Amino acid sequence: MGLGWYITRRVGWAVIVTFIIVTVTWALITAAPNPAVRQAATQAALDGGNPSAAAERVRELRGLNAPLHQRYIDYMVNVYTLDWGWSTMRSQPVTEAMLSALYYTVQYSVPWTLFTILLAPAVGLYSAANQYSWKDHLATGFAFFGYAIPNFFFGIMLLLLFGVYLEWIPITYNSDVPVFSLENARQLIVPVFVLVTGSIGGTMRVARNESAEFISADFVKTANAKGVSKLRVYARHILRPTMVPLSTTIVGQLLALFIGASLLVEIVFGIPGLGRLTFRAIIAQDTNLVLGSTLFFTFIATIGNLIQDLVYTVLDPRISFEDR
Amino acid sequence: MATDDQARFDQTDWEEIDESVDHGLSANTKVVLAGLVPLVLLYAYDYTLVGQYEPTFGFVGWGYSVTQLDWLFALSLLLFGAYGALPLYQAPRMTKYYWGEFKRNRPAVVSLAFLAGIFTMGLLGPLVISPPETDILIPYQPPLGFTIGMESVVECAGPVTEAGGQRVCHGSLAHPFGTTGSGKDIFRSVVYGMQITMKIAFITTLIVVTIGSAVGTVAAYGGGMVDEILMRYVDIQQSFPTFIAYLLILYIFGGGIALFILLFGLFSWEGTARYVRSNALAKVEEEYVKATQLTGASTYHIVRRHLVPNTASSIITDVTLLIPAFILFEAQLAFLGLGDSTIPSWGQVLAGGRDALPYAPWVTLIPGLFIFFTILAFNFLGDALLDALNPQAEAESE
Amino acid sequence: MDGSRFHSEGANSRRISRRRWLEALGVGGAAALAGCSGGGNETATSTDSSTPRDELPEVGGTYSRTVSSPIQTLNPIYNTEDGAGDLISYALDYTYAFTPGTEVLPQTAGEFTTDDSQVWVYSLRDNLQFSDPYGQVTAEDYTYLINEIHKSDWAASANTDSWGSDVNVEQTGELEFQIELPSADPFYPETYDPLLYAIPKDLVQPYVEEQDTEGLRQDTELNELQFTGNLGAYTLDTWERGNKLVFSRNDDYYLSGAEDMPQLFGNAPYFETIESEVVQEQSSRLAQLKTGETDVAAVPPARYDEFDNLNDVTVYKQPQPYNVVNSYNMRDNGWNAGPGNLFRSRTFRQGLACAVDKERLVRGVYRGLATPEFTWQPEWSKWYPDDASQIRTFGVGDLYGKEATQSRIKEAIDASEYDYSYDGDRLVNPSGDGVTLEIYHSAGQNTEKQATEFIAQEFSTNAGIEVNVNAIQGSEFAETYWKQEVPENPDEYEWSNGAYNAGPREVTSQNGWDMSMVLGLNTYPLNPLTNSVFFTVEESFYNPYGYVPEWNAPELFQQANETTSEEELQSIFSEIFVEISEAQPLGMLALDTDTPGYSSDIAGPEENFFSGWNFPGWYRQE
Repeated sequence: MGLGWYITRRVGWAVIVTFIIVTVTWALITAAPNPAVRQAATQAALDGGNPSAAAERVRELRGLNAPLHQRYIDYMVNVYTLDWGWSTMRSQPVTEAMLSALYYTVQYSVPWTLFTILLAPAVGLYSAANQYSWKDHLATGFAFFGYAIPNFFFGIMLLLLFGVYLEWIPITYNSDVPVFSLENARQLIVPVFVLVTGSIGGTMRVARNESAEFISADFVKTANAKGVSKLRVYARHILRPTMVPLSTTIVGQLLALFIGASLLVEIVFGIPGLGRLTFRAIIAQDTNLVLGSTLFFTFIATIGNLIQDLVYTVLDPRISFEDR
Repeated sequence: MATDDQARFDQTDWEEIDESVDHGLSANTKVVLAGLVPLVLLYAYDYTLVGQYEPTFGFVGWGYSVTQLDWLFALSLLLFGAYGALPLYQAPRMTKYYWGEFKRNRPAVVSLAFLAGIFTMGLLGPLVISPPETDILIPYQPPLGFTIGMESVVECAGPVTEAGGQRVCHGSLAHPFGTTGSGKDIFRSVVYGMQITMKIAFITTLIVVTIGSAVGTVAAYGGGMVDEILMRYVDIQQSFPTFIAYLLILYIFGGGIALFILLFGLFSWEGTARYVRSNALAKVEEEYVKATQLTGASTYHIVRRHLVPNTASSIITDVTLLIPAFILFEAQLAFLGLGDSTIPSWGQVLAGGRDALPYAPWVTLIPGLFIFFTILAFNFLGDALLDALNPQAEAESE
Repeated sequence: MDGSRFHSEGANSRRISRRRWLEALGVGGAAALAGCSGGGNETATSTDSSTPRDELPEVGGTYSRTVSSPIQTLNPIYNTEDGAGDLISYALDYTYAFTPGTEVLPQTAGEFTTDDSQVWVYSLRDNLQFSDPYGQVTAEDYTYLINEIHKSDWAASANTDSWGSDVNVEQTGELEFQIELPSADPFYPETYDPLLYAIPKDLVQPYVEEQDTEGLRQDTELNELQFTGNLGAYTLDTWERGNKLVFSRNDDYYLSGAEDMPQLFGNAPYFETIESEVVQEQSSRLAQLKTGETDVAAVPPARYDEFDNLNDVTVYKQPQPYNVVNSYNMRDNGWNAGPGNLFRSRTFRQGLACAVDKERLVRGVYRGLATPEFTWQPEWSKWYPDDASQIRTFGVGDLYGKEATQSRIKEAIDASEYDYSYDGDRLVNPSGDGVTLEIYHSAGQNTEKQATEFIAQEFSTNAGIEVNVNAIQGSEFAETYWKQEVPENPDEYEWSNGAYNAGPREVTSQNGWDMSMVLGLNTYPLNPLTNSVFFTVEESFYNPYGYVPEWNAPELFQQANETTSEEELQSIFSEIFVEISEAQPLGMLALDTDTPGYSSDIAGPEENFFSGWNFPGWYRQE
């Protein structure tokens, strides 16, 4: 009954969670009327054929008149074998559509995540260390600004300023440029900047507030009294315990932003990534693709939670995992 | 129950308080009940006697038809008053102390004033200002002090001048913030948007805080199976991103503002629960809780009297993050064209100005700035509250 | 079935607004003729017809275009979108096209002839080649496509309704086939029904044998236009889904230098590549047009003046056939403001027509780039009544205003069996509540939103009816509001013709609605006979709004269908249009104009309905 066992159990649980979520989405979609069936009925009527017969044909073809449990099993098998169906909106398999979109999403979300994870706790700690000084206010002000300004609004404003008026950055995203090139950096710098300012605020604030508590804690006073170097005090005695509550929020916040903000930012900057794909799928009533993106985002969230929990356990020795 | 006595801890009769909490009615509960009775009566009146399209308060000559959302809003205001504002009144000494701490943070005081302004305007503005009207002959009028080329407007509500061979239209007092592409007055739209914003903020937060803190503290204290089950559920909920869930539900069933509020309220408390739990978990280990436990206090007592008050700082931090998040979500959905278009929210006005950005940026800018400043104000406010409520951090920094 | 003439007919290439795109989608008709089809023996104003062969434009450069939304499919058998129709037409020609003046122009079909207007003969050119391994295009490819796919009951192709079972298609030679219609139709080409793409028989045969709809729909060669050989001016290189398409010059284009083509086709096409990119933000598209990053983008009315004044951009005013209509839901799930459905009363609809100031609408929302619509036909159409005085001009002059509106509505409610009345200026229902209706428009369409808000305001002011304005995603509206739920037992209804007219008024859509501005409908100015689909109830398969004509619509359209004399046809149409203006079956408001902005150095676009017919001859001026 050690850490290993805990992790095994935790991973096992994550698998169960995805299972439950996939089931819930299946139930939601099954409860909804199926557009494909309706379309077939229309077409049949246009042909002068029998609409109900045509609807039946499509049902048969899509296995929609199989017993409910059979449809459920088929669906689950398809989901886990990555057979996610055909996207009518793009005339290609859903997985292919998502992979090609992911390629663009990764290009900005990796630098964005790195910047956030590195900068947010550092700024928060810095702010806490200089609480109520002008440095604190400046850092806090920046964090607040980033958090408070709606990403898409900020994006539009920067695009208008730097793209339309100053012409420093391209107005539209060019998907042709190589990933590691100056052009790509130029067109991604503003989206990444917008996202980082957005994500850093919330996380930094939690970091500041938490570390402010630890700065006044007895063990820090003791460490200071013992003459431990200031850097070591911050790194070992303040940052580490700060990361515990922080880790519970940072992943969640990043995920929420990833899902909400990336969608908006992709639309504002015209990046053909996952967010825009999801949005388009909803607009175009492409059920398979909507389902595919939902599953993708929930898988990401599940994995994120898993990591968060593991980090939490590893970081805080006070939480005992043996008896869980 | 003598509220005055409570002002002095040393004279408080703990027995009596325990009694009142566990068995009797607290002042807060009384206030809630006192407010609830007329609310329920009015609601019943509205839905039985008043026609669907008739104003509820027609009998006093107020031509406003109260919606479902308004009832919920009234309820949430009542609860916030009873559990947020009333305790401050009940404990004047603590209130004074908190205020003393709070007002040292100047941005927070400004924020509070700003939010109070938004709140008052949102609540009372629609009573005195008539809703914005469409006038397609005066689209994209500039705000007072700004101009726009005549080629972008059809007619000009303000003065027209010649500048460099081009005729320009000036803003006028009739439309101090200018107009949208349909000729709707932006100032009025903003005032009406305030109310929507407040409704979204209060109702959703109420639901989230209630469920979230209850689940979080119970899980932390209960431990074992209780913790396991609650947190596993939270896991599932957290893995289903609310925004995506909302889009999915919107895709399948369609939806309006009421669904938005309900869905976000019911399915975004997992963060609060986790946060509260992780803080409470640390607190459960603390001596005083153990001591109380040893004295044989009930679970409810410990949760209500010790865990909830002591995780208040976590809850407040979280609430001040949540309210802006909801305002933002609404604006995002409106921007995507998936929001409830029948309500005059800021997000709707902002989204409507998107195409006109290069030549009439104010249509986007003005509601955008209101959203920005409101979210900002909530942040400053939350930050100051946290500092005021967390004397530990305070003592050290001095 | 007579209603099989249901197509989106627009000859213009740029179907910008979603509402129109949806119309194409909704009717499941052939893709728009998508203007950019080459061919013609008549050149038009801006392409200099006197250019001698040795002075043909230089080949080179890139023609880049931006569009607002990505296309769903390029599969020519299944495409129903105008936008995708444009793109397909770069790589694959239709059998014929129209030049200004509605002249039929031969494309892949060198000739399209008839002796008696009933049997039409297609004679294909002899230099048509598919890509390897499909070889030469023969008549069999076409007849196989029609008989085995379009006419089949399993394939559900986009052109199914053009090829009813009573249309006989036979191959009569290696390169010749004939179409025998059930009755004579001198304007058959104008219906766009006989428009065909060349699709290799060998490519589709396996799917036909298996009746594999999914397979046919998802075939890579069809979806990526890999079979097009020399059949289009350009060939598709890459299709980056949801984002970008790149075409390159087809050196073997079969019309290049063809004897019967305008001289400009001598060395056509003249661009080395075409790039078509999706840019979602309108302001970004226009910024690109301004800076010259793109060669064409749609200019909205509100920015027409601004772009018209630019030196580097030329904005063309192109008439288009779709109207701006407020559809009243006369089915049982319409009129949700009380008992009865007042929309069913002609007098009531006339009253509503008097409530909206059409001139103000045109001036305010469309900035003068539209004309008020009083009947189901644009004034520039040659079928528009010569004597326009008989057309009732609702919404203008005496036929506009509170008095005109309320007097008619009062008359209508007096005749109604329910006790509606006016309380002051407010229309109240029998239980004493004010009448409040819901109106829908497409989300994100600013011009449409403004028009809708204006109508809501006018209804409130003049008719005393409160109107709530709802934005909705177009495809959602089409699926769950506009289409009815096809009943399980269609045979038990008087008629049931598919989801757009699934039966009489008791058959309804999934969601109730009162009024909609989401869809604009085609007025079919080239062949108004097609309009029968909107106004004849039982035979037609398009009646989402549940209209039942108070006039003898079926007989009039039948007469028009039977006559072969143009003069007689003209007078029947006049009668029809007068009746429509009287009946107000839908709230006809305006006919707007397409205003695409092109880089000034692009030679080719024209200010007419047919612009784009000679697209292979477009080039960049020095």
